[in-house]
Amino acid sequence: MRVSPMTRAPEAGAPAGRPRVLLAPVTITPSKPLTPSHLKGLLWTDVMFRATRRLADVTYRCSHTTYHLCEQTLAFWEFLDRTQGDRGYGDATEEDIGRLYVAFRAEEGRAPAEDLRYYAAAVEDGWVHPAGERVLRLWTGQYAELGLHDPGLLRHQPPGYDLDTALERLDALGMCLDQRTLGGPVHLDLTRFGLPLRQLVTTDGRPNYLACALRELMPLAPEFDEVVLLYDTELDSDYQQLARVLTALGPSVRRVPIGRVPIDGRIRSARHGGWHDTHARALLDRARADHGEAAVRLGMRLYFIAVLGPGQQQSFRADLLRQCLRRAERMIASAGPAVDGTGTEPLARHRGDHLHVNPYRLTSSLLGTRRPAPGLDLLSGVFL
Amino acid sequence: MNPVQHHLREAAAARLTAVRPDLAGRHDLATLDGLLAARADVAAADGEETVLVAAVVHRFDLDRWIRSTCGFALGLDPVRADAWRRSFTRTVFLAGNPLHLRDRFSFASVADDASAAWTPPGPAAATTGLRRLLRLFTGSAPLSGHSGITVEIPTAHRPAPHPAHRPPVRRVLYLAAADCTVADALVHLNHTLAEGVLDGLIAPGDRLTVRLLPRLAGVLGELERVRVVTDPRSPDRLMAAAGLSKAR
Repeated sequence: MRVSPMTRAPEAGAPAGRPRVLLAPVTITPSKPLTPSHLKGLLWTDVMFRATRRLADVTYRCSHTTYHLCEQTLAFWEFLDRTQGDRGYGDATEEDIGRLYVAFRAEEGRAPAEDLRYYAAAVEDGWVHPAGERVLRLWTGQYAELGLHDPGLLRHQPPGYDLDTALERLDALGMCLDQRTLGGPVHLDLTRFGLPLRQLVTTDGRPNYLACALRELMPLAPEFDEVVLLYDTELDSDYQQLARVLTALGPSVRRVPIGRVPIDGRIRSARHGGWHDTHARALLDRARADHGEAAVRLGMRLYFIAVLGPGQQQSFRADLLRQCLRRAERMIASAGPAVDGTGTEPLARHRGDHLHVNPYRLTSSLLGTRRPAPGLDLLSGVFL
Repeated sequence: MNPVQHHLREAAAARLTAVRPDLAGRHDLATLDGLLAARADVAAADGEETVLVAAVVHRFDLDRWIRSTCGFALGLDPVRADAWRRSFTRTVFLAGNPLHLRDRFSFASVADDASAAWTPPGPAAATTGLRRLLRLFTGSAPLSGHSGITVEIPTAHRPAPHPAHRPPVRRVLYLAAADCTVADALVHLNHTLAEGVLDGLIAPGDRLTVRLLPRLAGVLGELERVRVVTDPRSPDRLMAAAGLSKAR
């Protein structure tokens, strides 16, 4: 078993004995531009992190190292090397790489498991394909522009368990159906709770993203009072299963499904491309042409959190985003003084029966017309 | 046609005729095409008249599987057993852990070590809940070892409906092991053993000695019952997949 070094991010001078909260958002495969759906999830998680950090000892864990091992990523890198040969990606945009990803997803057939073995071994040793690293580097810049906490996009953060250890621990919980010796797959077995078998490792030995999530979160979960899982709504059945496993390890587990953002009425997977002018780089460029950095950060949060909300009924609307940017500009200009000395009271109101702050409730509260203007401490601590 | 192929076709036709005389009337079972057409009819039947069993497989160990399968078949009540026989002991194999399912589903039989479990024979709809929760069993590993073991058929169950009690006998259980995966072995053994029990060839106290041979063409003369399938290497040929020897 390997145990990875953990980086906690407590507020400076935080008192000891505060509740411990782990935020674990689903990661985004670094093979394409960030779409409005991705931005929504990132902004949502960031507000939750920065607000909850004032009330609890919060760890924001989002390790790309862990999920590079999914077949989707390894097979893309194998495809790049097979079709592009030795080349650099230092000048490529995320759209350039995204177009290659679309071509990869359109390719018929799958790479044989043995072709991916060297990729998996290299990732375990800390290697990232230059195309993946390029996308992560571009995203790092966009995170900075958006004021998003960087959970270590470019850092090697291996999961605490290797696959066999994760499966052994799962077996000890009575939650593993491992038929590899018979030439079968490995399933997560929560049938005694009435949940269907869920494959973790294919018959030819390929782990899926849920297996990666277990490698990462099973060793971490016992260290926390509350684990918050943030993910796309359509992954809900998998996350119900993940939550069952983690709950058995001690913490209270909260699932926070976040609806995607339809473009022109359609929810599209990034694998089909078609991001045109709605990806993060394009949105940032347009916003920054007319607004300052602080207004861009706050306006994006107002739009993607408070206006779009947790569901996925509303299509992306550039006009509403522009309105939010203007509103943010006015809000910053009229920001009041600190509400109280610690700045935690307005945050604690938005926790409900859990430890983490609900970003939708908190962000929506900024838009209330009868409320006093938000204090600068709240804006700069959480939204800017 | 070579004599072995002729023998296999006759054996397969005899099985079809015994179980479903109506099919024998609709197809010319004296020809391979007629036989395959009759089998296609059987495979396509999924109406209410089709009776099947869902077998939940957790672990697979050949001697325990043989004992448990026979124990399950010996415990069936005659009416259900007869209906299942008319559906050619159709069985769907699911991956699952019986220990996790016993509170939600009533099984007809669970192996002593909970390595497998069987639902009672019934319409496919009766297994819908179980099939929704589980996945089809995959066992692509080659079958290995086990040749030469002897398994004694358990006696702790309700008496078999027929034939009347008889002294225990010994038989050899043959399995064609060339290209045989674990999943193939489950299927062939399931039909051979279940039908052997329901037809009275296997009874409590009998002893079965397992022999794995690459192919069974050389021992066909010893067999009282042979399971005939289409040769996976060549669809215009039949092959003996498993068989039970005459009583010794």
